Amino acid sequence: MIALGLLENVFFAAIPAVGFGMAFNVPARILGWCALGGALGRGLRFLLVEAGLPVPWATLLAAAAVSWLGVWAAQRLHAHPKVFTVAAVIPMVPGVPMYTTLIALSQIQREGITNERLATALTSGLNASFIVAALAVGLAVPGLFVFRKRPVV
Amino acid sequence: MSSTPPSDLDPASATPLTEGAQRELTRLCIQTGLLLMQHGAESALIENLSRRLGETLGVDRVEMGVFANSLVLTTLSERHCITTVRRSEDRGINMHVVIEVQRALLAVEAGTLDADGYRARLEAIRPFHYPRPLTSLAIGLSCASFARLAHADWTGCGVVLVASSVAMFLRLHVARLHFSPVVNFFFTAFVATSLAGLSEPLKLGGTPKLALAACVLLLVPGFPLINGVSDMVKGYMSTGLARLAYATILSAASCAGIILAMTLWNLWGLP
Repeated sequence: MIALGLLENVFFAAIPAVGFGMAFNVPARILGWCALGGALGRGLRFLLVEAGLPVPWATLLAAAAVSWLGVWAAQRLHAHPKVFTVAAVIPMVPGVPMYTTLIALSQIQREGITNERLATALTSGLNASFIVAALAVGLAVPGLFVFRKRPVV
Repeated sequence: MSSTPPSDLDPASATPLTEGAQRELTRLCIQTGLLLMQHGAESALIENLSRRLGETLGVDRVEMGVFANSLVLTTLSERHCITTVRRSEDRGINMHVVIEVQRALLAVEAGTLDADGYRARLEAIRPFHYPRPLTSLAIGLSCASFARLAHADWTGCGVVLVASSVAMFLRLHVARLHFSPVVNFFFTAFVATSLAGLSEPLKLGGTPKLALAACVLLLVPGFPLINGVSDMVKGYMSTGLARLAYATILSAASCAGIILAMTLWNLWGLP
């Protein structure tokens, strides 16, 4: 069951990583790295969450792993890692929680506040913000700890 | 623009830069930063590459200020300073340009390119774009994958594929007509939500609310969001805040588009 879930996560994360890579005009030769990064991030996060880690912390570790892959690839491609790591972490963006927050908030505005709506808005919103923050900070990990003075490429 | 012999900019020569050469080098440095800024590079990269170019080609120091939509750069050589400012207009995220600029700089650092060669190479960069139908289809597939990852059924994924592909094509088209991105995001979100909303009256799939959520994910401002936090973490507070504010405005425009479509077609409901 875990293997199947992992396979699904890896496969369906690689597609949006490439899709957004194309939207960011990443050259075709580097799109493979987007796919690899996307698959690594989402796959690792799935495993960490299965192992019992909360989603934001799992996201932080997964984004850091993608960023390290980015550093490794960047030195071979002679291109800055951000060029493809941003597309690679897009599959980890908490789209559905963000959307749920929006809908709950506008229902509060339209139809009045209830405990249930407020709880949905708050929990989804907090979840989404923590995951986005974890993504961005995770991507910055190599720069914060190793590449402090010298550039990656 | 004064014409200077290329030997003045040769990094190997020990003679100090002439004023004309320093002026020309200053222009090259800020042009480097400007190209990176216009195509979506983070502030640390903009400053780093501009500085490395100047220092490799013979000035003592390069100081740079990165602002929300302008750059200031000073080169110092033999106690002479030259400062220049450029206003930056957004040209859309293009990683191809960022890669080309970086590789040109690496060639200068390796000694295989002089200042004239570098200028020629910068001027020769033509931003690469994928064909719009191809990008639209890829983004449609991406949003369908998001739907699948959120456990939508296959019919729902098909709905998202169509809605997001059409919306992305419109977004790219509207962007080419030079509308404000805010207007564009509002319009695109409205179209995507309206199209995906059709799955409810047409009885397509068992997860219509998830389709509504996934079809607008093409509008998540990933680059401003991640660059914004990344700038702030690296100490570029003003550009970081500006990028986050921009991401917020774009998201607000998308939200307005979604809410308008939901109100008009009565699609309310949590996923």
